[in-house]
Amino acid sequence: MLKFILFTSIIISLYAQEPISPIPLESGVNRDKAKLGKELFFDTLLSKDNSVACVNCHDVSQGGADSNVVSIGFNGKKGNIQSPTVFNARYNFKQFWNGRAKNLYEQVDGPINNPVEHNLDSKIVEQRVNNSKLYKKRFSDVYGISKIKYTHIVDAIVEFEKGLITPNAKFDKYLRGEIDLSDNEKNGYKLFKQYGCITCHNGINIGSNSFQKMGTFIEYKSKNSYPDKESITNKQIHYNVFKVPTLRNINLTAPYFHDGSAKTLTEAIDAMAKHNLGVELSKKEKKNLIDFLNTLEGEKPAILESN
Amino acid sequence: MKSNRSILSVLLIGIISSIALIYFYIIQRDFTKNHREFLISINNLEQHQSKLSYLILENSIYIYQNQDKIEQKIQEIQAEYKILKKSVLLKSDTYKQINKKIISLKKKIDSNIKNIEDYLMFNAGIKNSLLFLTRHIESGEFLVLEDSHILIKANHILKHFYDTKKIQDLDYLDYKEFLLHSDSSDKKTKDFIKKFNIHSKYLMKSYTDYINSINSVLHNDIYNAIIEINTQFSKLALKDFKALDTFAFMLFTIFILSLSFIIFLLYSSIKKNHTLQITSKSLQHSLTYDQLTNLYNRKALESRLNSISKPTILLINIDNFKDTNDIYGNQIGDSILINLARLLESELAYLENINIFRLGGDEFGVLFQDIDEDEIYNIAIKLEKNISEHKFSFDNLELDISVSIVCNTIFPILENADLTLKLLKQNPTKRVMIYTDDMNLKKSVEENMQTVQIIKNAIADDRIIPYFQPIVNLQTLKIEKYEALVRLKLEDGTILPPFKFLEISKKSSYYHEITKIMINKILQTAKEYPQYRFSLNISMLDILNEKLITILFDCFNQNLSVVARIDIELLESEFLEDTAKVQEFIKKVHSYGSNILIDDFGSGYSNFSYFSDLDIDVVKIDGSIVSEIVDDKRKLHILKTIHQFTKGMDMVNIAEYVESKEIAQILQEVGIEYAQGYYFSQPIPKPLESDKVTL
Repeated sequence: MLKFILFTSIIISLYAQEPISPIPLESGVNRDKAKLGKELFFDTLLSKDNSVACVNCHDVSQGGADSNVVSIGFNGKKGNIQSPTVFNARYNFKQFWNGRAKNLYEQVDGPINNPVEHNLDSKIVEQRVNNSKLYKKRFSDVYGISKIKYTHIVDAIVEFEKGLITPNAKFDKYLRGEIDLSDNEKNGYKLFKQYGCITCHNGINIGSNSFQKMGTFIEYKSKNSYPDKESITNKQIHYNVFKVPTLRNINLTAPYFHDGSAKTLTEAIDAMAKHNLGVELSKKEKKNLIDFLNTLEGEKPAILESN
Repeated sequence: MKSNRSILSVLLIGIISSIALIYFYIIQRDFTKNHREFLISINNLEQHQSKLSYLILENSIYIYQNQDKIEQKIQEIQAEYKILKKSVLLKSDTYKQINKKIISLKKKIDSNIKNIEDYLMFNAGIKNSLLFLTRHIESGEFLVLEDSHILIKANHILKHFYDTKKIQDLDYLDYKEFLLHSDSSDKKTKDFIKKFNIHSKYLMKSYTDYINSINSVLHNDIYNAIIEINTQFSKLALKDFKALDTFAFMLFTIFILSLSFIIFLLYSSIKKNHTLQITSKSLQHSLTYDQLTNLYNRKALESRLNSISKPTILLINIDNFKDTNDIYGNQIGDSILINLARLLESELAYLENINIFRLGGDEFGVLFQDIDEDEIYNIAIKLEKNISEHKFSFDNLELDISVSIVCNTIFPILENADLTLKLLKQNPTKRVMIYTDDMNLKKSVEENMQTVQIIKNAIADDRIIPYFQPIVNLQTLKIEKYEALVRLKLEDGTILPPFKFLEISKKSSYYHEITKIMINKILQTAKEYPQYRFSLNISMLDILNEKLITILFDCFNQNLSVVARIDIELLESEFLEDTAKVQEFIKKVHSYGSNILIDDFGSGYSNFSYFSDLDIDVVKIDGSIVSEIVDDKRKLHILKTIHQFTKGMDMVNIAEYVESKEIAQILQEVGIEYAQGYYFSQPIPKPLESDKVTL
């Protein structure tokens, strides 16, 4: 049986499909929970001084990320890293730049407790939400509970985040055979594969399924230090190693990289070519690549449209 | 009590084995379920792990791959591990080693995941550089003409890198000549070399990490560890299954044992029940059957009589069966009864709807239903005739018997038949009789019952009294003696003669009482009338009654002064075998100076043999002779003969029933010494003061 499966897999693999897969059209989330999560996501109640909501740094009206280099959190404090997009985050193999959270549930916990972000602990969150008559009623309606627990709050936010998917990108439609790409876009995708971008940027999120060192050929130097994978593993080989970021909606999520050092896509492509591919790209090539990257912009998450 | 305990113990065994069975079922079910789940889980893990290895290999072969598949597989492995770790089995001591191995498996999985992350990281660069170099060499076509050796060298280096990647052996790497050199000043050439060397350097630098990482991923021993866990688990589980098997065998044994015990109990209970049924049947049989003849018994007849309408009974009684029994013994007697039973059955076999009973002793009954009187009478006649003609044979003995048969259809069936039988027995000429209401048998029974009551009351009220009839000396014409006769005086003063009550009193305990009263009263009278002798009637059968004789002599002993004037009149009896005993009695009476009189001589069973055996003083000639001597010469002759005979033996005569002067004169002429009768006097309550009579 096992051999048969292996054999079949090999046959299929030889006719390799594209290494990128489209975003599903439906998120399949519990709409009531997701709506409740949305309210929480937009609520500053979840920060110590009632100044910061999740949405502050994950601007869902744009690409779900922060247009600032580093985000401004509690009491105006600055974060230490560029906020990654919350869109399609459910497809990330790990969360945070250095992948320290296994999943969204662990991730939600992070910013709320982070002293420079929301700066709250779970007890206070529980208290605050329980003190709100509105939330009491909403949780009672959705979860059928009278006493709201922190895990319920996290669950609702996660459910909302799971709903933040951006389907029907032009490229997804192309993958599904619904439309054709322009020559430039096609050429961009071809270059994307030929230069090996695809080696790391593949899968449903076009990235976000492996770690990679920033600067494999030429060392990448930042002005500040950032929490890389080494900060978790203490292994020298993990110096400057980060989760490969998603390229979905990449045209909406500037600035780029963990340090927000690239303000434009061209800058970002240049940096990648130099540090991680060891190549130089022509203007035309870069333009084609950007054309391709633009096809990765999906529709606004449906959960945001509904009230 | 014993059976209760048995039932209780069976119940207990039943409950225990049921609980054990349920316990076994649960254990077995849980164990099998857990075992199966564990195996499924470990097999899944094994499969996922294989698939993961395959995906890694795929990743290393292809230039690019959708790495989501690897991440997805990793998540599946982690999820499956969680399931495996949760297995209840791992909590038991038996699987302690397995549990340890599974914990250490987790470490291996985790470290493998980290290795995969690193591998993917290194592999991406290597792949990209190799891809770049391939395309770079393609773009170096311009060197073919000028610096073809550079191109050749570049191809060699690339081939070496590819080979190394395929061989996966660091020793194969020889860094010495992996960089291109050229003295060419051509910018294009320089640029080509520069770009090539950047990647070549990168590859040289990264290959160690890459090869190490892929080796650690591909040569992880997770798969072996899983196989080992699987094998060891199967071994341990086999032990558990064996234990379960043993337990099941024990349960089965207990089950079989208790089943056997139950069967045994059931069997013994059936057996007991059977015995009980037999006993009950035989009891039932003995209740309704006569044991000797195997006919129905009296009780059966009674219950049968209650259940049928218009019953008719034939009551069959063997004549003189007591004699037969006495002569031939009870064994022959019983045989006669049995043979008669069989004879009755065969004789009556032609009749339908009849039942034959033995009612006790020598009495049989045949019950008919709804039969008319003529028919039953004919049946009875025929039956009686056939029985009397039948020869009852026993060894060399052949006996005839005769039976009396009574038919009755009138309620109360049995009582009427019984009474009729008594009546029939008194009539030696008839053998078959049908009960009719005009026999008044029942009435006499009622009268008897009344009479007994009367006797009882009379004794209590002292109304048993003697009457006295004078006995006259025909020579002197003086009253010399009185015969005392018993009378019962009713409350209204009516005097009952003895035949009205004496026979009935003999069948009750009052006879002795009456005798005693009479003796005492006669003795008292004798005291008051010293000039007379008195005689007292005693039947010969009474002499055999020791109690009565004791009473008599006790009274005699208490009144010795008058006893010499008391004589005993012995009444003849048909049945007097033991003359010696009578003689003994006579002797004793004589010792008191009393005389012995023979009463009613010349009637019934008068027997001259008495005179040879017994010392008799006076012979009283029966009234049936005396009363007819005037007209009947033969009677007179008998009288004379008796007188001659008795006189010859020194006995004197008293003639009874002297009712006329003629009789008295003839008696005087014949020389009869004494006379008594109505001519002289009826029995009177008291002796006369004057002893004179006239002829």
